Amino acid sequence: MKKLLLVCIALMLAAGTAFAGQTGAALSQESIIEKIQKQGVLRVGMSTFVPWAMKDKQGRLIGFEIDVAKKLAADMGVTVEFVPTAWSGIIPALLTGKFDVIIGGMGITPERNLKVNFTIPYEYSGMSMVAHRKKAAGFSRIEDFNKKEVAIAVRMGTTAEQAARKYMPNASFKLFENESQALQELNLGRVHAVVSSAPMPAFHALKFSKKLFVPLKDNFTREPIGFALRKGDYDALNYFNNWILINHESGFLKEREDYWFKTRDWESLVQ
Amino acid sequence: MFSKPSNKITLVDAAALALVIAAISFFVSRMGSVLAYEWDWGAIPRYFFFRDPETGALVPNILVRGFFTTVKLSLWATVLAFVLGTATGIMGARGDGFQRFVSRTYVEVVRNIPSLVLLIIFYYFVSSRFLDVLELDVWLRGQSAGVQKTVSLLMAEPGRFNAFLSAVAALGLYEGAYICEIVRGGILGLPGGQWEAAYSVGLSGPQTFRLVILPQAFRKVAFPLAGQFISTIKDSAIVSVISIQELTFQGMEVMAATFLTFEVWVTVTLLYFILTFPLSMSINYLDKKFSPRG
Repeated sequence: MKKLLLVCIALMLAAGTAFAGQTGAALSQESIIEKIQKQGVLRVGMSTFVPWAMKDKQGRLIGFEIDVAKKLAADMGVTVEFVPTAWSGIIPALLTGKFDVIIGGMGITPERNLKVNFTIPYEYSGMSMVAHRKKAAGFSRIEDFNKKEVAIAVRMGTTAEQAARKYMPNASFKLFENESQALQELNLGRVHAVVSSAPMPAFHALKFSKKLFVPLKDNFTREPIGFALRKGDYDALNYFNNWILINHESGFLKEREDYWFKTRDWESLVQ
Repeated sequence: MFSKPSNKITLVDAAALALVIAAISFFVSRMGSVLAYEWDWGAIPRYFFFRDPETGALVPNILVRGFFTTVKLSLWATVLAFVLGTATGIMGARGDGFQRFVSRTYVEVVRNIPSLVLLIIFYYFVSSRFLDVLELDVWLRGQSAGVQKTVSLLMAEPGRFNAFLSAVAALGLYEGAYICEIVRGGILGLPGGQWEAAYSVGLSGPQTFRLVILPQAFRKVAFPLAGQFISTIKDSAIVSVISIQELTFQGMEVMAATFLTFEVWVTVTLLYFILTFPLSMSINYLDKKFSPRG
């Protein structure tokens, strides 16, 4: 009986590793560009993040990123399919082939780059901060927040978390899966501030101006944002890089950036 | 010894009721004054239905769609859990040493892993190793629009098909372990006299099991099984972490876009309640009506 069981387990393990090897090889051998063209669908991994990607009143996705992905798909002659994914699991989901590319406001970092390939930046973002009027009264410099008694809420696994830890190593941190949870914590006055990519903190401070304010005049980091794709697919990397290059030159990216980040014309679409 | 419970409201009941009302009003007043929470319910209804600007028709929005995804998910997971649970339950109760070992291992492994961990193993490991190799989603994309529509009505559209299947598999496997125990208990709980009686009228072993034992066992466990279905609906909320667009996931999406945390959670809670409460009530009713009284 025991022997039979051992043989069974050994067989299953062997099959598992064989499969793993096969799919791994298959994923890198065939460029996703070819796969996308064959299937007629570009699957884009993203995560809700105002105003990069969000649901409008009709439940459709809108935002800067959504415009970028839609144009990319149109230029490839395929339809686009968005796969909203929890931020903390977005890289594993890419690596296991749940979608073809992450177009999700993902900051290029050396750590992430060890796991995935990044394109050239299609956008730059910076970290900014929104703080609680009462709890963080009089705070105006980053040093004011870099104290033991200061609590800061950030979204888990984001570059906001990294930046906040780097610039405010003494503060204590509360990590949340979603931006809205972090902001809720701030609105309830349980933390002093929320660190996040511009322009969201400023927008949020505007909305709850009685309770919240923007303590720092400028963003305290500048980050390149790229598409992320599985490693080893240089064909796709080349295609996406050149697509970004062309759309920087043509002004498409600039025009979309102005609309989503500099104006609030889109606000009526959401609320 | 057991008197019929009376319907009179006692002093203790009244005090308990008053306490609950006081607690709720305290909570609401705290929300208003201390937290200075500005309730804004105006944005919520349009996430149920919205009017199409072109046709003027009322179209279901993401909360309603999420609600039905939860229903579909729970139904399929229950079907799978029922099949798995019944098979392993019978194995556990009537099987030989090896079958009992398999049944036991299944129950103990699943019961001792957090459902969230099980789900993530399924989504990232099992799905990408086995499900993606089958390329069901690719096959589905190649089918006619009619087939695609039917499949997405019953399960999920092509883009979400594999994720949906891994969620159903994980949930079904998880709930199946509990059903296994329910079924096993139901079979073992029958008095041995049933077997002896069946032998004495000349039925063979398998016949006895199929014609005498199983029908009685199922009758006995029908209500715990139905209760497990309600649990499945509630447990299905965890699949939101693997991007299945069910009720909890859609609620979080609305929250991320509108920042209306409390309004959205209250709405989502009510929707789950609307789904499970009538079920729970009807089970109670059926239980009272049909369960054998000793």
